[in-house]
Amino acid sequence: MKMAKLETKGIVKHFAHESHKLMALGGVDLKVEDGDFVCLVGPSGCGKSTFLRIVAGLETPDEGEILFDGKPVTTTGPERIMVFQEGALFPWLRVQDNVEFGLKMAGIPKEERAQISKRYLDMMQLTKFANSFTYQLSTGMRQRVAIARALVMDPDVLLMDEPFAALDAQTRDLLLVEMQLIWEKTKKTILFVTHNVAEAAVLGTKVAIFSNRPSKIKKLVPVDFKRPRTPEDENLLGLQQEILSELRPEVKKSK
Amino acid sequence: MAKNLLAKKIGFYIILVIVWQAISMADIWPNNIFPSPYEVAEDLVYTGADGSLFYGIGTSILRLVIGLAMAIVGGIVLGIFMARVEVVNQTIGSLVLGLQSIPSVAWVPLAILWFGLTDAGIIFVTAIGAVFAVTINTYTGVKNIDPHYVEAARNMGAKGSQLITNVLIPAAFPYMISGFKQGWAFAWRGVIGAELLFSFLGLGFLLNVGRQLNDVSQVIAIMLVIMMIGIAVDGVIFKKLEDKVMSRWGLR
Repeated sequence: MKMAKLETKGIVKHFAHESHKLMALGGVDLKVEDGDFVCLVGPSGCGKSTFLRIVAGLETPDEGEILFDGKPVTTTGPERIMVFQEGALFPWLRVQDNVEFGLKMAGIPKEERAQISKRYLDMMQLTKFANSFTYQLSTGMRQRVAIARALVMDPDVLLMDEPFAALDAQTRDLLLVEMQLIWEKTKKTILFVTHNVAEAAVLGTKVAIFSNRPSKIKKLVPVDFKRPRTPEDENLLGLQQEILSELRPEVKKSK
Repeated sequence: MAKNLLAKKIGFYIILVIVWQAISMADIWPNNIFPSPYEVAEDLVYTGADGSLFYGIGTSILRLVIGLAMAIVGGIVLGIFMARVEVVNQTIGSLVLGLQSIPSVAWVPLAILWFGLTDAGIIFVTAIGAVFAVTINTYTGVKNIDPHYVEAARNMGAKGSQLITNVLIPAAFPYMISGFKQGWAFAWRGVIGAELLFSFLGLGFLLNVGRQLNDVSQVIAIMLVIMMIGIAVDGVIFKKLEDKVMSRWGLR
């Protein structure tokens, strides 16, 4: 049997809620094959972002383990790179230096860094903005920088935490198409948290539906339509309905 | 706008000097108690011409620079430690707050006992007077860093000293500048105060000489120099640094 690129086994995580502990993740099992684009959807507060942070190694689970290429991982590592919701770009660095940050940390010399970053700045259509500071960019541009900064690390797995949530509809639709092209071009394995069902259906090869707390993965829905897809694709509407009908009772329980 | 502001400032100082001159000419007080601006200027030229003024300025500024540099380095290190290691904050942190409340000149007796009437003693007073302001502002700055910056950096492989120099310090820098500004103000007061009491070269020493010679115009002249150096450092060095950082961050 083919080994999964990334596997989580029985991930349990409690939140401190006022005086007592709340079980947010109640044993999340997920297998992600190499090259999968898995979108995680679930009622708000179900812990899907926490789950992503645990996979990134930014938080430790109370129980369970993360296997990367079959080996357990407990800390953060350059093979699993996170793209944060607000980008978390460094305001003291220019766009190019932001993109090169991980390369610099790895001790790669300046000229080589510039060559590598140029490729990704081109891919994300940021070349013109290489010398800008981040405050000079629109939110959409900032997310492009955040994605470029992550891709430069050449991670096996890209972890994206609602990266398009703060974007206006037009910018998001544009990035939805681009994200599919990037995925096809780079063959990355992607875990993508979103609260937007249409976004999940457009992007994912699979959509993982989280149940309400204590969350588990209720259902893993495969998505096999041709790309590039757009949120208006009629083929996808049925699928969106299916995902929504799974989600609705969970959202109700969470109220 | 900027020109208008400059015109107002210049106008104000011209009027101030005229009023000053008028009061001294009114002969309310004898000239050796209340000298005219002309006499003060004359004194500036004399002390300038025989080199003692510039030697005094140079000495004080050198002490300031050394003391402040030590305070900045020490304050940054201590501030980062306090912000990142909770036990350091809980223990040394309270001591820092206490020490911060001691005026610089109150360190002078201890400095004289420890170092004698030396440069080292004055530099000690300067540094110790400034270090805690830098520490507290660095601490606040590091505490206020968006945790996502640190997470992203760690995720991209930054650790240990890399994390400190590439993320913690630049991310806390807007706060740290306030610390430098406060630190410089304390340091400048510390240098002059220490020099007055040590009476060992520098602008503070020249003030003391003026007092001993009953030379009010020299005292006022040196005070003017101290003030102008203050204005220059605040208005040029720190303002430029602040503007640069704030505009990079898009905060201004």
